[in-house]
Amino acid sequence: MVKASKHAKSESMWAYIMVAPTIIGLLALNIYPLIDTIKLSFSKTLPFGLYELKGIQNYVQMFASPEFWRANMNTIYFCVLTVPIGIFLSLVVAVMLNTKIKGQTAFRAIFFLPMVVAPAAVAMVWKWMFNTEYGIINTILAHKVNWITDANIVMITCAIVAIWSAIGYDAVLLLSGLQNISKSYYEAASLDGATKMQQFFHITLPMVSPTLFVVLIMRLMASIKVYDLIYMMIEESNPALTSAQSLMYLFYRESYVTGNRGLGSSVVIWTVALIGLVTVVQFVGQKKWVNYEV
Amino acid sequence: MKKLKKATILSLVCILVALATGCSNGSADGKTHLTFQIWDVYQRDGMQAVCDAYTAQHPDVVVEVQVTSWNEYWTKLEAAAISNQMPDIFWMHTNEILKYADYGKIADLTDLYDEVGQPGFFQEHFSEISLSNVQGSDGRYYGVPKDKDTVGLVYNKEMFDAAKVPYPDETWTWDDLCDASQKIYDATGKYGYMAYGDDQLGYWNFVYQNGGCILSEDNITGGFDQQATIDAMRFYMDLQKNDWCPDQNYFAETAPGTAFFSEQGAMFFEGNWNILQEMNNYPNMQGKWDVAVLPKCPTPANGDGRATISNGLCYATSPTGKNYEIVKDLLRFMGSEEGQRVQGESGAAIPAYIGLEDTWVGVFDQFDYKLNVSCFTDMFEYGVQSVNNKYRPTWKTQVSDNLLKIYSGQQSFEDGMKAMQDAINNAALED
Repeated sequence: MVKASKHAKSESMWAYIMVAPTIIGLLALNIYPLIDTIKLSFSKTLPFGLYELKGIQNYVQMFASPEFWRANMNTIYFCVLTVPIGIFLSLVVAVMLNTKIKGQTAFRAIFFLPMVVAPAAVAMVWKWMFNTEYGIINTILAHKVNWITDANIVMITCAIVAIWSAIGYDAVLLLSGLQNISKSYYEAASLDGATKMQQFFHITLPMVSPTLFVVLIMRLMASIKVYDLIYMMIEESNPALTSAQSLMYLFYRESYVTGNRGLGSSVVIWTVALIGLVTVVQFVGQKKWVNYEV
Repeated sequence: MKKLKKATILSLVCILVALATGCSNGSADGKTHLTFQIWDVYQRDGMQAVCDAYTAQHPDVVVEVQVTSWNEYWTKLEAAAISNQMPDIFWMHTNEILKYADYGKIADLTDLYDEVGQPGFFQEHFSEISLSNVQGSDGRYYGVPKDKDTVGLVYNKEMFDAAKVPYPDETWTWDDLCDASQKIYDATGKYGYMAYGDDQLGYWNFVYQNGGCILSEDNITGGFDQQATIDAMRFYMDLQKNDWCPDQNYFAETAPGTAFFSEQGAMFFEGNWNILQEMNNYPNMQGKWDVAVLPKCPTPANGDGRATISNGLCYATSPTGKNYEIVKDLLRFMGSEEGQRVQGESGAAIPAYIGLEDTWVGVFDQFDYKLNVSCFTDMFEYGVQSVNNKYRPTWKTQVSDNLLKIYSGQQSFEDGMKAMQDAINNAALED
């Protein structure tokens, strides 16, 4: 090994000092809580931050609980509802926003607006629109659909709101991907007589696939972690609560309503594992469809 | 450009200085600064008035009232308790007091008045229910009773007139409640009594009126296996099967209070603590509605058929606060006749202090329409202490989940009652 020169040493010291704020933040705000959560998931928790290590008791209780499996199914159902449709619609919006239309900037702003509004406000407004008796949606449909309280519909309702909120953000990301595609491909294609549809499937889609992949991963993670939307839309007094309870909502109820932080932490650790698994599968799967050649 | 930079730095420094002095407990002015944490924004002025009355006599003390919403309040207070940074004084609720008391996070105030030569002050000036609401599991007092409340019947006079039904009074029974609801529904198409899945403002009242109970006498095992409880629960839950009562789906979207004040329903149960703000928030409704005592059970299994759930808050403090002696003096004032009178006259709540109930009633003289608010204070005579034991955080959600399952038909009534009973009993066993 070559001994580092004095200069190199001081340079590396400066490098450490420069990254220290980020590293310290990461350690204090992410790594330490993560370790603590793992510890709590193996403990019986008492009020005021006290706990006793108890082994896998929480996990045994969790896996034996029908409520937990129900929450898993609800979360997966939510992902199935939101991710494919949401990303498809975002792509459509992005492609449309990428064409030369009048008021392009205005449209971009409008689609991005839901992202700027606080999720709580979004949920409140939608909740009123979905109100069975007095909501605008049922008034237009002239039907009394129990959007929020019917156990079979409630997840679809939440999915609609989630998709609406996310389209703008995803579309802007995809739009940036679209704008990186060189115009010359399209010119060449149209000279060769390719239709718009063919251009989309053979040029746009492969070229935007890296961005699409990023959007897919982020959207799936966000959907597995869904909490605030459901918390705002579904009151504690809602009979459809068990059909809308996602994993994170279950975590909230266990940790903060019932006060059983140990079990709540197990749910979190399980969710982290689930997200990890899904992400690994995606990274393996991406080799088949994501095109990194320009 | 340079000027701008200078200005930025200067303002930053100012902010830092302001922050630093703000954190240093402000002894810069030589006064003792106390913080007082509450959760009800509508009572902020009332609480400030109580503190002002104290600081007028003790100019060396400054009290800052801080409001945190109910949902965040308990998360924040628990975090503060862990890090030993609790506010000097704070409100305590019966839902939580046992936990805080049992873990030594709130001070034992049993001897608060004995220390200043007023032994027996608590027993003399506060009712048994008020004192039960401040007791820890060991029976000692962990707070100074602040207020007491009852649940009453709120009704829409115009709908009663339209259906030609006499207004509710103290002779009313459950049967009258149903008859009136039916007639109002027939005459106006509006809902009658709105019975929804709530405990304190709903079925608890019916259960105790019928002579049943939620927790049996040992305060550990449940009462959902007793016939009187089961009958009352069945009566209450079946109310939603009538055309004149919305179902639980409706209430999940529209709170009964919202429905009432948008003139969709004729009656609902309301706690007295909400009445003042409802008068203020719905000025157009003033004169159209009034309040009455709860209807009684016509055929109680035992007792006289009368009951209303009576809860109460208290003022509490941490045993390790550095201003403990001054805080105790302020707490003594808050529990005194003067402190309680200021609270009552501010309209914040009915003072817990016996004999001052009318101060709260008098607040409603400010309105042109005279509500019959004294019915709330009349009901203390047969008030029942709010249901609570130290396992309630564990069984509370399970009981309400099962209630919802019965309402939505996912579970039969009998199975639901059994599940609720098991939830209460198992919570104690697990400990």
